[in-house]
Amino acid sequence: MTGAWVTTVSNRLPAYLALGGAGLLAGLVLGRPEPVVLAAPLLLAAAAGLALAGPPDLEVRVRLDRERALEGEEVELEVTIRARRRVAWLDLEIALPPGLAEVRRAGDGAAALRAGTTRTVRRRLACRRWGGRLVGQLTLRARDQLGFFSYREQVRHPLPLRVYPRAEAVRRLLPPAETQAFAGNEVSRRKGDGIEFADIRPFVAGDRVRRINWRASARRGELQVNEMRPERNSDVVVFLDTFTDLADPTGTSLEMTVRAAAALVDGYLRRRDRVGLVGFGGTLRWLRPAMGERQLYRLIDALIDTQVVLSYAWKGLEVIPRRTLPPESLVVAFTPLLDERSLGALLDLRGRGYDLTVIELSPLAFVRPGRRETERLAYRLWAMERDALRGRFLSLGVPVVTWRRGEPLDGVLAVASRFRRGARRVRA
Amino acid sequence: MTGARRLAPGAALLAAGAVLAAALALVPVVGGPAWERPVGTIGVLAVLLYAAGVAMPWAGALPLALGLLAVEYLVSLQVRRAPLDAGAPTYAAVLFLCAELAWLGLEARRGGRPWPGRILAVAGLALAGAALGAVLLLLTSAVPLGGGPPMTALGVAATIAVAACLAWLGRRRE
Repeated sequence: MTGAWVTTVSNRLPAYLALGGAGLLAGLVLGRPEPVVLAAPLLLAAAAGLALAGPPDLEVRVRLDRERALEGEEVELEVTIRARRRVAWLDLEIALPPGLAEVRRAGDGAAALRAGTTRTVRRRLACRRWGGRLVGQLTLRARDQLGFFSYREQVRHPLPLRVYPRAEAVRRLLPPAETQAFAGNEVSRRKGDGIEFADIRPFVAGDRVRRINWRASARRGELQVNEMRPERNSDVVVFLDTFTDLADPTGTSLEMTVRAAAALVDGYLRRRDRVGLVGFGGTLRWLRPAMGERQLYRLIDALIDTQVVLSYAWKGLEVIPRRTLPPESLVVAFTPLLDERSLGALLDLRGRGYDLTVIELSPLAFVRPGRRETERLAYRLWAMERDALRGRFLSLGVPVVTWRRGEPLDGVLAVASRFRRGARRVRA
Repeated sequence: MTGARRLAPGAALLAAGAVLAAALALVPVVGGPAWERPVGTIGVLAVLLYAAGVAMPWAGALPLALGLLAVEYLVSLQVRRAPLDAGAPTYAAVLFLCAELAWLGLEARRGGRPWPGRILAVAGLALAGAALGAVLLLLTSAVPLGGGPPMTALGVAATIAVAACLAWLGRRRE
């Protein structure tokens, strides 16, 4: 129900009253009726305007057709307005949060509403960017019959809308170096019960007869048994560096990060891996690794609330709860490699023996070298510094792959996989 | 370029208002003796102000323009020492329409479209104003009202009431 209307008066009303008053005065001074006759329509209009004026009495209901949508999809916002008193002119304006845009106006613009009637306005909203939003802030504008008074009121019916990111297409994920105890899709390096052949060894008491490799036993003259590799799951932690967000007109590095993270999270959870999340930035956010569909929704909900918060406080790995980073887990970090705090944390992770892969969202793609010679020199120096930084990670056996806008994430992961196959794991 | 160029929003309303203002400025001087022509300069000034008000746009000029049109009309009556003018109600209604067209045009330029109910109300008020003016003229000519202190006091009271309304609105001005 509405009530707190802000009323403004048109310039016309004081003008009519002033001219009408002057007409009356002139009639008195000149002793003629014509000035009063000239003033009559103006005074009549002013009197009618004052008599008819009154703020509208409306009942407003707002509804969204759904609470969740994918990036790029459209949702419908329905506003139902019921007038308890006649409104000569009523317009509706919807204030949309960033990331949402009105597609087209399905209902008419301004319209009159008779007492007791209801008007339903439907507006299509395009979800342009992922994130949690509150929709339902409306501005109602009304005018009286003669247009002397304008009424404005802001109505707030906050409705939550969660827009999920459209994930990057990923066909092959990074295989983790180590596996965990639960069954999964990753062939373990350890030997045990499984279907993947690993080796042959001599028979010892307690071995199952079905494991005996009869051909090898016949060749070697003693019983040989097959050893197998079990298929296990792994722990994966997606590490998001949210200290810095780089933006250009086509988008931001944080948007790329979240889309890629959503794809990885979905992919690893489908493989029955346990997946966790660490948002390392001005505010620290984490989710312990777990598996299943519920974890997918938890992770995606955490991802769409990701934002950059400015902070000068120094923080390292010690602020992350230990159970968030299980031993021997694969850590995939998305970072622009700009903030010293996240660089320190990544090097610390490597030092603690985590299987780390860095996907760099290069800031060079977001910054153009200047026109002057000194500016170009500074840009080159900066690029060289970044090369040296990447070299430092590579020397520790950490693949650093640069991901530029427009490139498929698949290609970036393939490059990282190639490096990991040949890399020697080194402790920092 | 093919096809007609689209007029700016409200241009038709403003043009109609300007034509009415020009007609109102001409009415007092047309058909009168040559020595009355200088009165027309007030009308010319009024039309210029009106044009400036709708073209710039400068809403503050409109009441001045309307006031000058009324002044031109009244000065011509005084100069001619004319008896009661039966055309006064029509002149008043057209003056009112001229004012409304200017404001409607200015609102249209800001993106506001006049709604049918308002146009009907304006037309109705113009007719009612003319009728009220005609009744006033009839009363003045037919009924022997002697004037004097009571009538003057009534006029002063009406003027004060209008001034009070203005003061009240001054607080809630747009």
